[in-house]
Amino acid sequence: MSRTATFDRPTFAVRAASRSPDLAIFVWIALTGVLLLLVAFPLTKLLLVSLHTRAGVFTFGNYLAAYGRARYVESLWTSLVLAAETAAISVVFAVPMAWATSRTNMPGKSFVWVLVLGSFILPPYLGAIGWILLAGPNAGFVNQAWRWVSGASDPLVNVYTFNGLAFVMAFQSFPLIFIFVKSALDLVSSEMEDAANILGAGTWTAMRKVTLPLVWPSILSGAIIVFLEAVALFGTPAIIGIPARINTATTQLWQFFEYPVRVEVAAAYAMPLLLITLLMVGVQRLMLRRKGFVAQTGKGGERRPIEFGFGRFVLLGYCLCVGLLSVVLPMLVLAEASFARAWGRGFALSNLTFDNYTFLIFRHESALGSIWHTLWFSGASASLAVLLALLVAYVVSRKLVRFASGLAFLAMAPFVIPGIVMAIGFYAAFAAPPFSLYGTAAIIILAFTARFLPIAYANASSAMGTVHPEMEEAARILGSSRLGTIARITAPLLKRSLLGGWLIVFIVATRELSAAIFLVGPNTRTMAVLLYDLSEAGNFEVLSALGFILLAITLVFIGIGMKLVGRDFMLRRT
Amino acid sequence: MDRVNTPHLSKRSLLAATAALGLGARAGRAQEMPAPERELYEAAKKEGEVTWYSGQVQAETGEAVGHAFGQAYPGIKVYVIRSTSQVAYQRLSQDMQAGVAQCDFFSSTDYGHYLFLKREGKLLSYRPHNMDELIPEVRAVDPDNMFQVLNVGLYLIATNTRKVAAADAPKSWKDLTDPKWIGQEAVGHPGYSGSIGVMAVTLRKLYGWEYFTDLEKNKPQIGRSSDDPVTLLNAGERTVGLGVSLSTTLLSMSRGNPLSFIYPNDGTLAVYSPSAIPKNAPHPNAAKLFMTFTASATYAKVARTFFIPPLRPDVPPPEGALALDKVKLIGATPQEIEEGVPEVKEAWRDTFGV
Repeated sequence: MSRTATFDRPTFAVRAASRSPDLAIFVWIALTGVLLLLVAFPLTKLLLVSLHTRAGVFTFGNYLAAYGRARYVESLWTSLVLAAETAAISVVFAVPMAWATSRTNMPGKSFVWVLVLGSFILPPYLGAIGWILLAGPNAGFVNQAWRWVSGASDPLVNVYTFNGLAFVMAFQSFPLIFIFVKSALDLVSSEMEDAANILGAGTWTAMRKVTLPLVWPSILSGAIIVFLEAVALFGTPAIIGIPARINTATTQLWQFFEYPVRVEVAAAYAMPLLLITLLMVGVQRLMLRRKGFVAQTGKGGERRPIEFGFGRFVLLGYCLCVGLLSVVLPMLVLAEASFARAWGRGFALSNLTFDNYTFLIFRHESALGSIWHTLWFSGASASLAVLLALLVAYVVSRKLVRFASGLAFLAMAPFVIPGIVMAIGFYAAFAAPPFSLYGTAAIIILAFTARFLPIAYANASSAMGTVHPEMEEAARILGSSRLGTIARITAPLLKRSLLGGWLIVFIVATRELSAAIFLVGPNTRTMAVLLYDLSEAGNFEVLSALGFILLAITLVFIGIGMKLVGRDFMLRRT
Repeated sequence: MDRVNTPHLSKRSLLAATAALGLGARAGRAQEMPAPERELYEAAKKEGEVTWYSGQVQAETGEAVGHAFGQAYPGIKVYVIRSTSQVAYQRLSQDMQAGVAQCDFFSSTDYGHYLFLKREGKLLSYRPHNMDELIPEVRAVDPDNMFQVLNVGLYLIATNTRKVAAADAPKSWKDLTDPKWIGQEAVGHPGYSGSIGVMAVTLRKLYGWEYFTDLEKNKPQIGRSSDDPVTLLNAGERTVGLGVSLSTTLLSMSRGNPLSFIYPNDGTLAVYSPSAIPKNAPHPNAAKLFMTFTASATYAKVARTFFIPPLRPDVPPPEGALALDKVKLIGATPQEIEEGVPEVKEAWRDTFGV
C-alpha cells in the first residue's frame, strides 16, 4: 500500500507548483482533509470505541465479547460465503449481458438496458418481498404454477434458503457489474478484435483472449463491490434470512445494538471486515499487476458490433431471462399487491383498490416528506461523491502525490463497513458537539457520500485508467493549469462515465437502508426507512404501493437526467 | 359522535367518522374543555407538533390517531414514527446517548423499558386529569406517574380459514406443539417485537422453556414483528400464527382476508403497554396534551375502529372482539418482563438459531 509512485514523473508536481501558483495543491490538501473527516475520523472513532469500555478504560474485552461465541463467528463466515456466492452469480448474469449489449448486433438493446435499470432501481426490500410472494415454498406463484404443471408436491424453488437468499441478492446487485463492464467494453476499439481475427482467432476466442481481458479490471472491481455490498447488506438478510434461519454479520450487528446497546462490541465485531477490504484491494492489485489496460488513447479508434446470425436471439433470450427474474416478475406481483384490498383474496375485480395509494398520499403524515428527503439526500450525496471521486482518481492515477494510494484506500474503505456500523461511526463522530449533526439532513448526506464514495471512486478510477495522460500533457504544455486541464480535458472525456457514476450513486442512495436507519430523525426519514417500518406492520399492500411511488419518482428523475445528457447517455449505440 | 361505531369498516366511512369527530370538536370543544386541558392546549399550540415513537399500534392506526388529534386540537401536528417496540427503544436510546431530544411521546410494548428509563431519571412525571375514567387496573400503575398504561394489546392464535377448518384449529398454546402443525406455523421475534418477548416470558412461566424447544420441532417460520405472521397467513404461506395481535388480525379480516382467530383456552396474552414523556421532550406541553387525548373517549373510539381494545368502560369492545373481562387473560408482571425479556431473547436464539 505504501509503494511510492512518484518516480514516474517526479518533476511534474514540482514544476506545477513553482511555475505559477497552481490552485491544485490546495485542492489536494482540501481533498485529503475531507477524506480524513468523512472516512478516517468515523473509523478512528470506531476503533477507539472498540478498544475501550463504556467508562473509557482501555480493554480488549470487547473483542472477546464479539468473537467469544461460536454463533457470532459463524455469522461472519456465513456473510462472507453468501457475499462470494452473490458476487459469482452476479458476474454470470452481468458479463454476458454487458458483452452482448456493447459488442454485438443483438436486437432490443434499449429494452435490455431498461430491464437492467429496472432491477437496479427496485429497492432491495421490495425485490425481496416480491420474491417471497413468488418463491415462498407453499404459496409462491412460481411454486403454485410448478405444482399445477407437474403435479409434484415439493416446491420448485424456495426463497427461504441460502441459495434463495444469494439469488435474490444477486438480482439486486448484478446491474453494478453490468454498468461497469459495459462502459469499459464501450471503450474497447474493434481494431483489437480485428487484429485477433486477422491472426486466425474466431469471435469466441477473440472475446475470450482479447476483449474480456481488456475489461478485466472492470469485472474485478464490479465483483468486489458487489461482494462488499453483499457483506454489508441489512434489509434482504433481515427479511429473508431470519425466516430462513440464516444469521449474517449484519443481523448479528443489529443484536449488539439491542438493549443494552453495546456499541463497543459492535465496533469490535466490525473491525475484521476492514481487514477483508485490505485483502480485497491487495488481491485486486496482485491480479492487475504489470498489465496495461489502456483502451482509449488520443488516436481515436473504431467500434463496430460483432455480427451474429441466430446467435443474437440466443443472447437476447438470455438477457430477457435475467430481466424477467430480476425485475419483471417481482414487479408484477408487487403491482398486484399494491392494488389489492386484501392480498389473501387473490386477483378479483372486487379486490382492486386505489386506497393503498390514497392512504399514503393523503392520509399519511410523513410519506410525502420521506419521498422528498430521499430525492434530495440522494442527489446531494451523489454530487458530492462524484466530485470527490473524480479528484481522488485523478490524483491517484496521475500519481501527483506521495501518498496517493493512501487516498485510494480511504476512498475505497467505506464500502466494506456495514452500513449499520458506518452509521454508528458517523453517529459517534458527528452526533455530539462540536458538530451536533444528529437528526439533521447533513449527517445523512455526509454518511451517504462516504458510504457510496467507493462506487463513485471505482467508477472514476477505472474510467481514468482508460484515458491516456498524453491529452492532458498536451493541454499542460500549452499552458493550461492543472485544474483547468481537469475541467476542460479530463472531465469532458469522462463525462459519460461520471454521469453513469452519479446515476449509480443516486440510485443506490435512494435504496439505502442500513446507513439511514440509525441516522434518521423524525424529520429526516427516507423512504427506505419508511418501507422498513411498514414491512413490520403486517401489510404488504401499503408497502408495495409506497414502493411503486418511489419507483415512479426515481424513473422520472432518471428520465430527466437522460434527456439532459442526451439520449445515448449510458446507452451508446456502437 | 356515534357514527364512529359503524359496524363495518371501510376507509371512507372511517375517514368520514374521524372528520365528523373533528368537526364536532372544532365547534364545541374549546368551551367544553376542562380548565387544565384548555391551558395545556394553549401552551401546546405554541409548540405546534408532537413526535410519537410508537411500537404499540400499526402505522395506519397511528396515522389515524394523529389525524384525529389534529382535528380535536387544531394547530398541532402528530408525527408518527412507527416501528417494532425494540427498534423504537433503540432509537430513543440513541437520541439520549447523543444528547439530542427528538421524541415527545414514547410508546412500546416492553414494560422493562419504562422501569429502566424511570430509574435513570429520563422521564417526565405527568398524570392526565382523565385517567380516572379508565378501567381500575391502569389508573395508578406508577406511584410517581413517570409513565401511564394507555394501551392493552391482546395476542393470540390466528389461522388461515382456507387451509385450516374451524374444527381442526388449535385450541390452546399447548396445541401448537402438536406435530400435526409441522411446517405450518409462523411467529415474530423477541429481539424485535416487545410483545413476543412478553409472550415468551409468559409461556415460559406456564410451561417452561421446553415449550419452545418443542415448538422448534414444528419448524415455525420466524419473522420480526408480531404482525409478520398475518402477512404470511394472508398469502397462504403458513396456516397458523402464534402471538398474533388481535387488532391486526381483525383489521386484516375486515379487508376480506381469509383469517380467523382463537382465544386460547389456556389464556389470551394481555400486554399492558405504557407510554411516557421523556424528560427532555422538545414539545412537553403538546406531549402532555397528547397523553390526555390518548386517555380520552375520542381516542378510544378512533382506535376502536382499528380494533384496538379500549381501556375505557364507556367504549364498547371492537366489532368482532370480546370485552376484556369476558376473556381469560394471561401475562407477566413488570418485574418478570424486565428480567425475563433479555433472558428469553438469548434462549430464543439458542433454540431457534436466529
